[in-house]
Amino acid sequence: MTFLQFFSRHSREILQGTLEHIWLVAVAMLLAVLIGVPLGIIVAKRPWLSKPILGGANIAETIPSLALFGFLLPVPWLGARSDRLAIAALALYALLPIIRNTAAGISHVDSAVRDAARGMGMTERQILLQVELPLSFSTILAGVRIATVLTIGIATIAAAVGAGGLGEFIFRGLAMVNNQLILAGAIPAALLALGADFLLSLLERRLRPVRA
Amino acid sequence: MANDSTNTPATPGATRNTSSGSSVAPAIEMRGVSYQLPNGHSLLCDLSLSVDPGETLVLLGRSGAGKSTALKLINRMLELTRGEILVEGKSIKDWDPIVLRRHIGYAIQDIGLFPHYTVEKNIALVPQLEGWTPDRIRARVEELMKLVGLDAGKFSRRFPHELSGGQRQRVGIARALAADPPILLMDEPFGALDPLTRGEVHREFRSLEQLMRKTIVLVTHHVGEALLLGNRIGVIDAGALVGMYSPKEFLAATEPVAAAYVANLRMYKEAEEGL
Amino acid sequence: MRSFRYVVLLALITVCVLASCNPDRHQGIVVGSKNFSEQALLGEILAQRIEARTHQPVTRRFYLAGTYICQQALLAGRIDVYVEYTGTALTAVLHDRLESDSAAVYSRVRSEYKNRFNLDVLPSLGFNNTFAIVIRGEDARRLNLKTISDAAPHAREWRPGFGFEFMERPDGYSGLARVYGLDFAESPRILDLGLLYRALLEKQVDLVAGNSTDGLLSARDLTQLEDDKHYFPPYDAVPIARPDSLARYPEVRAALMDLAGKISDQEMRKMNYAVDGEHRDSADVARDFLHSKGLE
Repeated sequence: MTFLQFFSRHSREILQGTLEHIWLVAVAMLLAVLIGVPLGIIVAKRPWLSKPILGGANIAETIPSLALFGFLLPVPWLGARSDRLAIAALALYALLPIIRNTAAGISHVDSAVRDAARGMGMTERQILLQVELPLSFSTILAGVRIATVLTIGIATIAAAVGAGGLGEFIFRGLAMVNNQLILAGAIPAALLALGADFLLSLLERRLRPVRA
Repeated sequence: MANDSTNTPATPGATRNTSSGSSVAPAIEMRGVSYQLPNGHSLLCDLSLSVDPGETLVLLGRSGAGKSTALKLINRMLELTRGEILVEGKSIKDWDPIVLRRHIGYAIQDIGLFPHYTVEKNIALVPQLEGWTPDRIRARVEELMKLVGLDAGKFSRRFPHELSGGQRQRVGIARALAADPPILLMDEPFGALDPLTRGEVHREFRSLEQLMRKTIVLVTHHVGEALLLGNRIGVIDAGALVGMYSPKEFLAATEPVAAAYVANLRMYKEAEEGL
Repeated sequence: MRSFRYVVLLALITVCVLASCNPDRHQGIVVGSKNFSEQALLGEILAQRIEARTHQPVTRRFYLAGTYICQQALLAGRIDVYVEYTGTALTAVLHDRLESDSAAVYSRVRSEYKNRFNLDVLPSLGFNNTFAIVIRGEDARRLNLKTISDAAPHAREWRPGFGFEFMERPDGYSGLARVYGLDFAESPRILDLGLLYRALLEKQVDLVAGNSTDGLLSARDLTQLEDDKHYFPPYDAVPIARPDSLARYPEVRAALMDLAGKISDQEMRKMNYAVDGEHRDSADVARDFLHSKGLE
């Protein structure tokens, strides 16, 4: 059976696996953005906090992904269900690029713009929401893009702890020494990553603020 | 009251701090103001001056003399370390900083237009913050663009990066005037312009009726600008006020820094006359 | 910037939608299995029987990496049923103490799975895949050995061979030696599971601990000694299923009940040998088995 035949024979399962994969990544990215962007803002506004916050995120990044999944296993509630566990680990991984890019984007807003905003009587909150965030959105989005592509890749390892997704085809294929099964997991995962990268780059480019 | 010349050096021909000796309360008053950086370095030392309502005070000095610092203390962009500043008779410490700043127009050298806002949105900033109705805002923006010589139809929807330096600078002025504040602080607002454009803008600035009524503190290191635009010129050197003059008095000043400026001016005039 | 706001909103909505749709609600029945051939065979048997009963195609999700993975998949709804061993369920999933009474273990597993996970444990398929203490057939006949207790006095002349896991587990070698008073001539050789029987037949070792359903046990002149003191816990093969799947497809339960008690130790061994030893396709072996039982 050629690979294409295999693909069409098992298209429903592969689609199912792809949806599972997307779900893991989507929830993890949502969490990472909701936590990471505010942390990035804090790091930009209070540089003395950058060491602990960035340092912490860096540690999470340095731990090998499989090990991180393993560490979270004995944690109550999180470790009880492997999809929770996988999502927690994936979100932790996604934090560093998001925090770093948010902080960089905000601190690189033209100081003249920030001075003018402040001098004209905008509150800190107004400056953040109306000036700094819109102007750094493209940079933040770059961080989100990097994190998303990273997460799609690492999510394949989540199958090792039972979270499902496209990685499960890869692991099963390895156990059965079945190349087609391996590809059935690897190719959609690669396509997902490429697609996400492409779409988000488009968005990034469209929203890049033009320099004066 | 600080209308006495107790703080100015007793140089011949120097005026008292109040140009007309009137009993009107000053719009801005600085009393013994000092500003020190956290590392101990002092940028301003014991500065005292006052600005009458409707007056244009030019602060002239070299780069790093402390004139921008003095300006920023007025609208609390920086917090003074010693002394007192009163705006419209009330200590700035008693003003809410946000209210204070919205009450004062602010224009800086790099202008700082929001790159992601159109010209009209940039100008409309403070009125927007103050909650004006959209109609009122639109009318005001049109009025101001006309005032600064920008075709509203052509430029309102443009973004700052699509404008020339001179055009951007005019938008900056319009923005500073948008909510019609009684006081204007300008920190080398024409500094980024080439001399020709600068000259054009100077001419127009002088003719702006609206500006005549306002209290303006303008910081510059351009002596021609000071003579052209100021009702009085305050010379700042090494964090201190070394002289306060009317333009005419300035030309006859003997104080070293002021005299150096005048000598410079003369040098170019003589070069022209010698040809 | 109006476009900016729309884009952010759209992106947020997309992600929220993606994040909220539960992907595990699938159509049809999914049968899972662990990653060794006996499990794949059992999975095939279950799948084919269910297909015969429900007349619907069953999705096979075999070779999942282990007990934990299967358990998680079942809980998340990614699979609807798989075959577990009662002893493994007791220790690895429930973290309970081991017992040796088969019926007691079964009922404990059944009630605990219901209470803790809301999963249904169905009746055993009929065989017990436990540790098998195996000696050469000729030795068994010569010395007339049927049980481990029979063999214990001869241990002094023998060298044993065990897999790594059997050596390490608390209910492995150490417990066995203690319970039966085994005193071997030499310390055990540690061998790869696949090499154990060969070493036994080539007389490099004299006694090994394998799996009771290993294919080679039927095919070679090997004797499994009876665990007369019931040292080893039972590892009865039981299907475990999600009750909502059973409710959605009522014929599934009937299919699983059809298989209850149908596979003996011997029969499982034969099927394992067909796949591992003769390299036949597991789907074919499963089909032949069902046919032989009159279950098409």
